[in-house]
Amino acid sequence: MISLTLGGVTLAYLIAGLLFLGAGLWAAPRLQRLARALLWSGLAVHTGALLGRWLQSYSLASQHQPPAGFGELVRLVVLQAPLSNFYESLVFFSWCLPALALISFRRRLEGYLGALVATLACLLLAYASLGVDSSIKPLMPALKSNWLLIHVATCFLGYGAFALAFGAALLHLWQTRRTRPELPGRALLDPLIYQATVIGFVFLTLGIITGAVWAESAWGRYWSWDPKETWSLITWLIYATLLHARLVKGWQGRRIAWLAVFGFLAVLFTYFGVSFLLPGLHSYLT
Amino acid sequence: MTSIRLTVFLLLVLALVAIIGTLLPQGEPLDFYLARYGNSAGAFLWRFRLTQIYYGPWFLGPLSLLAANLLACLVHGLPQALSRVSRPFTGEVAAALPERGRFSWPAEVDPHGAVVTAFRQELGRPRRLVFPDQEIYLVECGRFRPLGPYIIHLALLLILVGGVLGKFWGLTGSLALGQGETAQTFVKDPRRPEQALNFQVRLDRFQVRFYPSGVPEEYRSDLTFLQDGREVRRAICRVNDPVSFGGLTFYQSSYGAQPTGPIRFKVCRGEDCHPVEAPWRRRVELPGGQAQIIALRLEGDLQGLGPAVQVAYKRGPGHPQIFWVSQNHPELAGKPGSPFWQPDEYRLTLTDLPFRYYSVLQVKKDPGVWWVYGGFILVLAGLFLAFFRSPQRWALILKKGEDGSWAGRLLGSAPRAREAFGERLTRLKERLKKGAGS
Ligand code: HEM
Repeated sequence: MISLTLGGVTLAYLIAGLLFLGAGLWAAPRLQRLARALLWSGLAVHTGALLGRWLQSYSLASQHQPPAGFGELVRLVVLQAPLSNFYESLVFFSWCLPALALISFRRRLEGYLGALVATLACLLLAYASLGVDSSIKPLMPALKSNWLLIHVATCFLGYGAFALAFGAALLHLWQTRRTRPELPGRALLDPLIYQATVIGFVFLTLGIITGAVWAESAWGRYWSWDPKETWSLITWLIYATLLHARLVKGWQGRRIAWLAVFGFLAVLFTYFGVSFLLPGLHSYLT
Repeated sequence: MTSIRLTVFLLLVLALVAIIGTLLPQGEPLDFYLARYGNSAGAFLWRFRLTQIYYGPWFLGPLSLLAANLLACLVHGLPQALSRVSRPFTGEVAAALPERGRFSWPAEVDPHGAVVTAFRQELGRPRRLVFPDQEIYLVECGRFRPLGPYIIHLALLLILVGGVLGKFWGLTGSLALGQGETAQTFVKDPRRPEQALNFQVRLDRFQVRFYPSGVPEEYRSDLTFLQDGREVRRAICRVNDPVSFGGLTFYQSSYGAQPTGPIRFKVCRGEDCHPVEAPWRRRVELPGGQAQIIALRLEGDLQGLGPAVQVAYKRGPGHPQIFWVSQNHPELAGKPGSPFWQPDEYRLTLTDLPFRYYSVLQVKKDPGVWWVYGGFILVLAGLFLAFFRSPQRWALILKKGEDGSWAGRLLGSAPRAREAFGERLTRLKERLKKGAGS
């Protein structure tokens, strides 16, 4: 049921992407509005599917061990948030993209930028549905922590915002050689890159901090140079560089766009590369 | 030392060193590197401390420079930022802001209510200054923004200080305890004598619960702390739920199973069966003397199939074969491809597997943790100030004309958030115009 719903959402994102593309090509405001409405609806259904999965995961766990009392019930609800394996993290990642874009870019989300966001969300969701084991597995002891929800949610919101910065940076770099009138102007893209980076940086900082506090309570070490931790630090350093270059040195345009691209490559490696190539504490994600 | 170019360079160098650290396995013994990278390359990596990269000069060098850089910037810039923050927003300062619009109200209209309403709706409660010839309404937001970066930088220094404190004044070790055992020492470094505790810990009870799939669901240790043989405190230590006592913290980090007596097998060759007793990790001849086994490992619940022993089986000169023997499912021994498959003609079944779980606790003291946590809180506060409190100053100067009409001048600036400022300005002007006659 949920996988079918997510299939529908994937399709909605695909069509929204095509509509955005059309709107960009023919500068059609009505198409623009239609695309944005479709993206909103897809996001709403996607939210519903996430909540459905949460409920499903909760009811499986409560069958195994029914909670006694309200406190335990709340704890079980928090623990069963659908963020505990690779599939669930992909579904949430793809949710973050349109959610952040629609909320933080608002009307500036149009044309090619909208197409990029919708397509990326569509691809992530399609990969989750087709390529990844979607079964609900019971939580291992280390994952049973109230920090799980906030740690994973903040990390992926950060990744999502960096993906938006990446999209805007690509459009920026694409028209360095010559201005393309059909694309959003560089004067518009520049603040978008910066804005998305700031949002991502704040979320990633929160994600690293919550992860450290969690590791301290689980293992007694807030930092252990596990590859995922280290790569998130690398990512953080790259974006800190971007922010300093812009805030202190006043860099703009191309160079900032390149930093946003490198930053996102680091994000991708933190998320996929580390899970598949480098073993460590976080390898249960795969 | 205060150059931002140095900062950016150091940030990128640190990122690069960290990348090397994740690609090159860290903290392995020398033999590992010699075997993996060859003698000369392995020795090179070892000699130049690339195998302990985060704890050696490659990482700590640039990090110390960065700390010096941060400190220099802090000393250099903080006084300036503080004086900027402490400079009050007065009528004179307001009058020097760039002008953004003019309004006028006819004689019969009192503008004060309209101005206050418009300001409150867009910006927040204004301050009102009354002078003989004019009145000024002032609103300031994000006054403390200039402190944001310095708070972040200070917080990063606190985190580094916390790390150093933990490294030099903290300690970590581990403690393996069987049920009923009492410990007075723990292992700090496997190559050194054990470290004494100035109290005792007793493991009263250890429990593991498994999911039907055999994955552990929860494990916990019921501990009692004793001082001079007297019970002082009882506590339950779970994963994610540590226990502190006597300046140390105990974390439930893992567990293991260990036999409490010899393991007994029934070994058959066709119809010809004999009992065999296998002491833990000792070589045992099988009946007939043609093969030997060693019991290597014990699991309390392997893949949800119950207790099992891992056995190395050797017959003749070849490599030993390794397989598991399940207590509850002897039939798996005939299943090729499973970890229980016994390839040779001998059939081993377990008749007695006495075992108990033992608990592994991580023992730790880290005086730096509170510095680190303090740094975390400050980083968040600083990020909030730096990115979400852009400074804005607004003023509306009202003057009463000869004929009783009012003229207003709107002034304001927001050097760090031009776009948001522009939008606000438009909306504010709309509201003021609605109240004003023109
Ligand atoms: C983490 C988020 C960070 C933010 C938001 C941030 C923000 C800033 C800002 C806004 C400035 C300019 C100060 C000014 O113009 O008054 C600055 C300068 C600087 N930052 Fe950061 N910073 C951060 C992290 C770091 C890190 C991680 C380092 C290095 C460890 C660092 C080192 C520096 C240095 C050395 C300067 C130059 C200060 C000066 O020239 O006075 N910052 N930072």
